Amino acid sequence: MSTSATATINETPRLMKSTGQGLFNFAAGLSILFALWWIGIELISRSSTTAYFASFGPVPTLRAMAMLWHGGLIQSAVWASGYRLGTGLLIAIAIGVPIGILMGRIQIFRELSNSPFQLMRMISPLSWEPIAVIVFAGWNEAIIFLIAIAAVWPVMFATAAGLAKVDPNWFKVARNLGASRRHVLTQIIVPAITFDVLTGIRLALGVAWIVLVPAEFFGVTSGLGYTIEDAREGLNYDQLMAMVLVIGAIGYMLDSLFVQLIKRYSWHRQT
Amino acid sequence: MTKRQSGKPEDPRGESPLDYKKHGDGINDPKLVLDEKPLFGGVLGTELSRRTLLKVGALAAFSGAASLSSMRGWADKKFDPVVRIGYLPITDAAALLVAHEMGFLKKQGLDSERPTLVRGWSQIVEAFQAHKFNLVHLLNPIPVWMRYNNKFPVKITAWDHTNGSAIVVGAQTGIQSFKDFGGKQLAVPFWYSNHNIIAQMLLRDAGITPVIRPQDAKLGPKECNLLVLAPPDMPPALAAKKIDAYIVAEPFNALGEIKAGAKMLRFTGDVWKGHPCCVVAMHEADVMDPARAAWTQGIHNAIVEAQLYMAENRKATAQLLSKDGKNYLPFPFEVIDRAMNFYDPAYYKNPLAIKHVEWHQSRINFQAWPYESATKVVTEELKKVVLTGDRAFMDKLSADFVAKDLVNYGFIRKSLQNNPKWRDDLSVPQTGDPYNRIEVIEV
Amino acid sequence: MNAVAAPAGALAFLRQKSPGARRFFFGIVGLAAFFAVWELGTLLLQFNPATRTFATFGPVPTLEAFPLLWGEGKIQAAVAASGYRMGAGLLIAIAIGVPIGIVMGRVKRFREMSNSPFQFLRMISPLAWMPLAVIVYPEWDQAIIFLIAIAAVWPVMFATAAGLAKVDPAWFKVARNLGARTVHMLTQVILPAITFDVLTGIRLALGVAWIVLVPAELLGVTSGLGYAIKDARETLSYNHLTAMVLVIGLIGWLLDAVCVALIKRYSWHHRGNH
Repeated sequence: MSTSATATINETPRLMKSTGQGLFNFAAGLSILFALWWIGIELISRSSTTAYFASFGPVPTLRAMAMLWHGGLIQSAVWASGYRLGTGLLIAIAIGVPIGILMGRIQIFRELSNSPFQLMRMISPLSWEPIAVIVFAGWNEAIIFLIAIAAVWPVMFATAAGLAKVDPNWFKVARNLGASRRHVLTQIIVPAITFDVLTGIRLALGVAWIVLVPAEFFGVTSGLGYTIEDAREGLNYDQLMAMVLVIGAIGYMLDSLFVQLIKRYSWHRQT
Repeated sequence: MTKRQSGKPEDPRGESPLDYKKHGDGINDPKLVLDEKPLFGGVLGTELSRRTLLKVGALAAFSGAASLSSMRGWADKKFDPVVRIGYLPITDAAALLVAHEMGFLKKQGLDSERPTLVRGWSQIVEAFQAHKFNLVHLLNPIPVWMRYNNKFPVKITAWDHTNGSAIVVGAQTGIQSFKDFGGKQLAVPFWYSNHNIIAQMLLRDAGITPVIRPQDAKLGPKECNLLVLAPPDMPPALAAKKIDAYIVAEPFNALGEIKAGAKMLRFTGDVWKGHPCCVVAMHEADVMDPARAAWTQGIHNAIVEAQLYMAENRKATAQLLSKDGKNYLPFPFEVIDRAMNFYDPAYYKNPLAIKHVEWHQSRINFQAWPYESATKVVTEELKKVVLTGDRAFMDKLSADFVAKDLVNYGFIRKSLQNNPKWRDDLSVPQTGDPYNRIEVIEV
Repeated sequence: MNAVAAPAGALAFLRQKSPGARRFFFGIVGLAAFFAVWELGTLLLQFNPATRTFATFGPVPTLEAFPLLWGEGKIQAAVAASGYRMGAGLLIAIAIGVPIGIVMGRVKRFREMSNSPFQFLRMISPLAWMPLAVIVYPEWDQAIIFLIAIAAVWPVMFATAAGLAKVDPAWFKVARNLGARTVHMLTQVILPAITFDVLTGIRLALGVAWIVLVPAELLGVTSGLGYAIKDARETLSYNHLTAMVLVIGLIGWLLDAVCVALIKRYSWHHRGNH
């Protein structure tokens, strides 16, 4: 008891130090970005014709963000897009991970599926748009489809790549030790590939954001992409940057979540 | 003119779908036959399509699927009694928006949903083709491609508005007239638009040849390079001196003036009196099916009433459409007000953007009658303008044919007859027959 | 019996012959299956009268469009224009992403400080960058290359860092003990170890770059694959659209195959993957 007490006493300053360090790094990194942003926009809006574009800068942006928040626009946009993004990503994971595992384990499947998948993953989601409009009755469903179809490939390939790096001997050993198919899946495959799958999902998140803005060109009335387009059309660049910041913040939080998951579940205790 | 081959094996019912007595206005006009193979939609009409029919037939036979008799081209669009409007966030959409918002559709006994905002022409076309909308506004040339390149049964039934576009130039370009466009970069919003047509007309008139080349390609002294930009990207591009001028629908000219230091060069309505820009488009089934005639008539009555309302209440309309009103367009009142109403010849005198003050046009006008003469001009010009898309199908189209086949005049005519005030717009001939005019194009 | 034995025999035969022939054979079969599914989807579209107009998305009209577009030189011109932009964008993404990824993997301080800004930046959609790109870059091509590079740099960067993270730190200690300088460390330890992950990152970046190409080429250019797709969509020539999409798919496939070959050649993980 006394040892655990001493251990805790020794741990606390270390914990505080590491949290403090984390916060410092977070703030320092962002401050540098902020500064670069400020300088950059200053330079751009020098000329008289481009003077208007000073509204890209950090100060107008923060002001616009306050205004948008008051108007409830940010909240409704996050809610609407969050739903679409979340559903699209979930579908992408639900499809991508199993297929990725199949690709990794069954050689015939991998060889057969390689060419069609390589073809399909290069199709820009915007090219899928007409199909999305025909097939899906609702706009939300069409958008979710576009996000899913863009996000499934990073997940799928990352999963397959992760599986490819698993030492085949492990499977032999597992089988020797009498592991059933399910055991092999849950005890070997899933933990081994978690790192890569989560990396794939991180990438899928990035891709999904890219797709969200043009995807919300359709007949929806709210959403982050929708609000960005509204700002873009009205040349309200401060509002545009405000929404960009919001997206950045959300993306950052989600990504941090994934990093924590990686730390927790992966065999590679890194990052 | 290609005639439909009746009694083809593909049509099991055996009757000619376009029976003028049953489905039309009772006038047998041979020009009104449609070169359409209803079973094969947009397939290129080669022998391959028959093979596909056999495949489909086999599939149908095996799966015992629904009868082939329901494949009848335009008649297959099911009737949707709710008016579903799709629009782009430009002032051009005003007539349809006001028709819903001010209750003109309701007054006609029609149920309508709040119009759906779509951000791009392609998206609105696809949604329309997927039957998600049954009433849209489209750039005048778009239905030409829809009907004759893609064989989609669409009809222009009225004009959504006239004028409403302009050319602006960058403040430091020193451009005073179209003769100064040699060696310059001009942006258009869409190749298949009247903006492109008018811009090229103006250039050719000034002795400048429009070309399409990469940005850094050398241009002759009498060549002007054209490119396509989305309207929201035009003011930044102008400000950054990447383009020297752009032509677009309002309110992006107004925005350019306010925010990017753009100078108004010419209003398009001052060049071509009362020219069409966006048209009202509907599915052919909704237009030709006599069972839906009352519904379609109601829509057109509402459109005309909306237009007349807007002509009298411009400021109120601007307020209604803006962000400060019902938020149909993502712009504040000042921008839309300027875009719709600010047409002061005294202000716009250097360069002289309004030369024909006596025409008494406005920055945007709301006149619905789709003049045949205008459609003919558009068709002829479309064959001449420089653009990059597929245009081979136009070689077979004559302007007369398009004016009669693409546009339906019945419903809008009746609505206008019931609302004689439409003739107050001065692009309508004030003497003689108001339904026919000679196009006045004076640079 | 013979008919059943024949395919099995053929498979066994292929397995013994070169793996290249085997891959080729399966590639063809995979593509055939893809076309079959595509045609099936198209038949469904054609069958339903409400969607018949979209039947031009089908494989048959698409293949018919190929000779037409090739003859007009449209495919070649589009590939040249987009190829230049994609190539430049990807090269920049690699040139920036790999070194930064290595620094991220090796220098803890940098990794922790750069994390927040990078996460912010990578979530910005290209369409949101567009007005800024239009103002900053004097040429459209440059703006497009910027949009591609900014989208493609993240997969490369993170894959590099991830690859480095998996390197056994003991190796660095051993190398240092054996007297390796930083240069040696870089070329003899780091690069070979991370090649697999870097090339995986490049494969992913390739996918992202193609996604971005179509909206990027909305920026005032009148050439390129993205532009051609947009033009086809606007003229409702859907078979031209799918033909261009297929061209992109084919090029992407080729490039990806090159990446895979490079992985096999240079990576320490000698696994016979795709």
